[in-house]
Amino acid sequence: MAERKHMSMSTKRRIGNVASYVTLALISIIWILPFVFLLLRSFDVGNTGPSSAIFPEKFGFGNYIYLFTAGADFLKWYFNTFIIALVVCVVQTAMQFSMSYVLSRYRFKLRKFMMNFMLVLGMFPGFLTMIVLYQVLKTIGLTGANAVPGLILVYVASSGMGYYVSKGFLDTLPKSLDEAALVDGATRAQIFVRVILPLCKPILIYTVLTSFMGPWGDYVFAYTVSLGNEAGMNVAAGLNSWLAPNMINDHFAPFCAGGVVVAIPVMVLFLFLQKYYVEGVTGGAVKG
Amino acid sequence: MAEVIIKNVKKIYSGNVTAVHDFNLHIKDKEFIVFVGPSGCGKSTTLRMVAGLEDISEGTVSIDGEVVNDMQPKDRHISMVFQNYALYPHLTVYENMAFPLRLDKKQRVEPLSPTEVERAQKELEAARAAGNAAKVAKLEDELQNGRQQKGYTNDQIYDRVTSAAQVLGITQYLTRKPKALSGGQRQRVAIGRAMVKDCKVFLMDEPLSNLDAKLRNQMRAEIILLRKRINTTFIYVTHDQTEAMTLGDRIVCMKDGFIMQVGTPAELFDMPANLFVAQFVGAPMMNTVNCDLSREGDKYFVNPYGYKLPVDGEKGKALLERGVQSRPIILGMRPEHIQLARGKEGIPVTIQVNEMMGSEYHLHVTTEQGNKLIVRIPTISLTDEERNSMVNGTQINITFSGKAMHFFDPESEKNLLVDITNADAYELDADIIKHEQQEELPKAEKEE
Amino acid sequence: MKNYTDLELLRLSKAKRTGHKIGVTFRSIPGKFKRLGIKIGLFFKNLVFGIGHWFRDIALTFVRGDWKTKVSYFVMGFGNVSRKQIFRGILFFFFEVIFILYMALFGGRYLSKLYILGTNEKTIVDGVELPGDNSFNILLYGVLTLFFIVAFIYTWNLNIKQNRINEQILKDQKQLDTGKDDLRALIDKNFHKTLLALPTIGIIIFTVLPIFFMILVAFTDYEASHSTFFGWVGFDNFGQLFNWSNSGGSKFSMTFGQILLWTLIWAFFATFTNYFIGMLIAMLINKKGIKLKKLWRTVLVFSIAIPQFISLLFVSKMFTTDGIINSLFHTHIDFWNNQWSARICVIIINLWIGVPYLMLVVTGILMNIPKDLYESANIDGANGFQQYTKITLPYMLFITGPYLLTSFTGNMNNFNVIYLLTGGGPETQAYYQNAGRTDLLITWLFKLAVNKGEYDFAAVVGILVFIVVAGLSLIIYNIIPSTKNEEEFQ
Repeated sequence: MAERKHMSMSTKRRIGNVASYVTLALISIIWILPFVFLLLRSFDVGNTGPSSAIFPEKFGFGNYIYLFTAGADFLKWYFNTFIIALVVCVVQTAMQFSMSYVLSRYRFKLRKFMMNFMLVLGMFPGFLTMIVLYQVLKTIGLTGANAVPGLILVYVASSGMGYYVSKGFLDTLPKSLDEAALVDGATRAQIFVRVILPLCKPILIYTVLTSFMGPWGDYVFAYTVSLGNEAGMNVAAGLNSWLAPNMINDHFAPFCAGGVVVAIPVMVLFLFLQKYYVEGVTGGAVKG
Repeated sequence: MAEVIIKNVKKIYSGNVTAVHDFNLHIKDKEFIVFVGPSGCGKSTTLRMVAGLEDISEGTVSIDGEVVNDMQPKDRHISMVFQNYALYPHLTVYENMAFPLRLDKKQRVEPLSPTEVERAQKELEAARAAGNAAKVAKLEDELQNGRQQKGYTNDQIYDRVTSAAQVLGITQYLTRKPKALSGGQRQRVAIGRAMVKDCKVFLMDEPLSNLDAKLRNQMRAEIILLRKRINTTFIYVTHDQTEAMTLGDRIVCMKDGFIMQVGTPAELFDMPANLFVAQFVGAPMMNTVNCDLSREGDKYFVNPYGYKLPVDGEKGKALLERGVQSRPIILGMRPEHIQLARGKEGIPVTIQVNEMMGSEYHLHVTTEQGNKLIVRIPTISLTDEERNSMVNGTQINITFSGKAMHFFDPESEKNLLVDITNADAYELDADIIKHEQQEELPKAEKEE
Repeated sequence: MKNYTDLELLRLSKAKRTGHKIGVTFRSIPGKFKRLGIKIGLFFKNLVFGIGHWFRDIALTFVRGDWKTKVSYFVMGFGNVSRKQIFRGILFFFFEVIFILYMALFGGRYLSKLYILGTNEKTIVDGVELPGDNSFNILLYGVLTLFFIVAFIYTWNLNIKQNRINEQILKDQKQLDTGKDDLRALIDKNFHKTLLALPTIGIIIFTVLPIFFMILVAFTDYEASHSTFFGWVGFDNFGQLFNWSNSGGSKFSMTFGQILLWTLIWAFFATFTNYFIGMLIAMLINKKGIKLKKLWRTVLVFSIAIPQFISLLFVSKMFTTDGIINSLFHTHIDFWNNQWSARICVIIINLWIGVPYLMLVVTGILMNIPKDLYESANIDGANGFQQYTKITLPYMLFITGPYLLTSFTGNMNNFNVIYLLTGGGPETQAYYQNAGRTDLLITWLFKLAVNKGEYDFAAVVGILVFIVVAGLSLIIYNIIPSTKNEEEFQ
């Protein structure tokens, strides 16, 4: 009796596991499939317009070659995006981290007010400010072909407002570390550099990663600020312009190829830094 | 010479929560002071005000004759050990201990460390042999008077850290990170980090409370040894009365931000200023009962649980000196001052719980009226027969030792026989200061 | 309604208990409003008193101060310089000089016209262009000047306070900080000010100032067609929005209502479908006995690594009439041209975007649920489903309460998914300016401003988005338990 019951239980578990594996495999396929399609389309040199075919008519590297030839502005866009993302991720990380460090570690008169104020500011839709910023950038000549410095300014300027996640992390570091360092004779700047920063590696990497990915894939601001001027576009705005009705018929496959080339650096970063990204996401959500 | 004088210090948090009321204390040089009290009594806050980690709302703290209110912690010449160790997780044990030395970049004249002395002597011999007079003079001067330098050299840091590590028995862990250490080892590192620095006052904030009971006893003994070695002024905060009693030269017992009593362990135990101190110090807790003190001529009697007992000896004399009349009191009796009546007349009680502690019995008993009290009886004083009969429900007779009775005013809860009130605590100390100054001044004049 | 004590409540059935709780919640509303009213009252009282105190302090400092202090009221930094704090004094003085120069040469002009935003339009007389007033510049520099004036008053007050403090310090025969001390304090005592300086200035100039400006724009008729000459219109734009009358009701108001409704529906579905499906997948991956956990997780995480503009644009093309989806199933459905199929599609495709993220969040929390809770539930005889509803779900909802709130408001403003998938379409004549059926308030705002140049209406929509988000946050924040009893699950 007992043996049979035991048997049935393990069978039940086995069936459950098989069902789980099948579901997981299905889910994985659903999530991977669009990339497979994207990859396949990018190699289609026979039909470079939008197509309902899954497999390329003619297989070749023509689309990739097109991206890197003088005819397309892709290289320029790619370079623009790279510069923007690089500068933004350095400056934004510094500003965001300074803000979260101060809000987590110091108690000063305006602290609560600042936090509430930034909370309220964050409830205004971001594009609202864009209308003004665009006009201002236009007057100082940082739109159109010169959009890159303008975009950097826009991305970086308000980055202090995204302090939540790293503040959540900093809040978990015991305050007595700061106090011990204070008694040991460190200045506040030394505490920041020699005690806190080395302990914040995971969250710093997370911040760098997210602030790199933001401008890397941003479309709206880049589109608006570049004003349709191809010299000032980033990849998102540029590649999107290939999907305009008059371009799409021979630019869809190059668009896919461009997408693959854009996705590769972030995927490589993720391959190595996934752990930190996951930590940041979970930590940030729990701390709210 | 590093006295710490805490004068009229108050801590008021925003929202008018007062954590420390008018704290006055004169800590003498090389004294080991323990702040003890239940959590939230303001002991840690006071310590942190001395350390400079907490602003002082009112009053002054001075260390070694200098008011330090506006000084940064690093300029106060203090070392501190934290409750949760506060070791830097990313640094090795060695670097943790070297941290305060590496940060110190002041100009100083520093005697050579043992390694440096050794090297200097070798160089000296070589210089003498070579006939380099200038170098010989320089080395001799350095060996004798120390060297003018900024901060510490790597050799000095190494010598200090390794010698502290040796004292604490953590030499083999110097290259490890704190994460790889046990709680006791981490505590040693924390103490080591505080030791390497030359400090005037050594502060410890509940350093043992994160350790398990056995380790705590062991570390307590080590702190006593450490104290002899470091020989500086200590302020030690704990909520554990055993630690306070065993470590402190003097104990400051606090409650709700007020000092309840300042005194040596013996004073606190024998002459608790009030009911709070009486019950806080000593384990198990002192038994108390409301009853009447009656005076019949020169003799005093108390009537706990309806039994009339004489107050004898010294206590009676002290009461007489103070002219205490018949009045209601709270009578306090420590569990160890209650004996078995053994055939003599006594108060009949029933054993409810019998705790065999090994060397002694703790008996939780109730009187006929239902009052609960605890009796502590050394095992050695009991016959085998008595030990076997000490089961729950047994009735025994007990008597109180008249010498060890404590009398408290039911309203103010003050000890009728101890004059020191809270407010007096500082004035007493102020007298000492005045006294010392007066003594010192004439001497100085004489010397001139 | 009967008042139960907490203990009595325990004896009631679950339904009654819930009913009671709901009753209590509703009955507490008037009290909450009352408390809010008192709070607001107190705030204003404190404000008025604060300002009163400030004036008194300023006056008293003047009366009681020495002549150095008195001069400082007019020449900022004089007190500092004359008390040998050269460094601070010069900074103060420079600020005053710059302020005066700015006001005299630049700011004053704009400020004086701010109330009317300019009177002369640009005209062309005999082929010669006569420059008129530029309303945009007047508004922008006017606002900038206002900010500058506030900054000046703050600094001036600081300057007065310094004098007061310095006098006191000198009276106590203590040392004043030297310039060297000031610099040293920047890396020690005032290190937080050093760190905050740049981020704060950035936020003020690039967020606070523009938002303030756009709020003002909502009260003008600023549109691309006459972008340099416009004026104040008061509440006209808002009036349009609330013009609900059946016959003459404005299209703008109808469109706003419809889009708001869809925005809320979208945010609800986007948040909760992601939440529950993400949770299911996370639990599936974390189930005991499932191998290759890391692989399953990585597959999903990699979809986060692909920039959204690529994946979304590509997927959007997959769903066209001649797209891959239709060819796979040999159908010919026009997903994007029917409002319902379009709406359902964006919600489903959004799952593909959002679930991996949720899966990560949930996995992190699942690992934090103490194992002994499940062990004890096992011993008490709870089956898998009961364990889910009694332990996992409450724990999860409790921990993620605030996250759900931010994710809800985040979805209300989820520009990328809608704009890149449908562009807001299908567009309809029924809506103001041909807005689309899947347009969210945020994409509508974007199109109004960027494509149609109706900045005034865009500003109105922006303000209303803020009001909706803030209102919802306030309400939900007061309902969810996580913000109140932080200790419950710890």
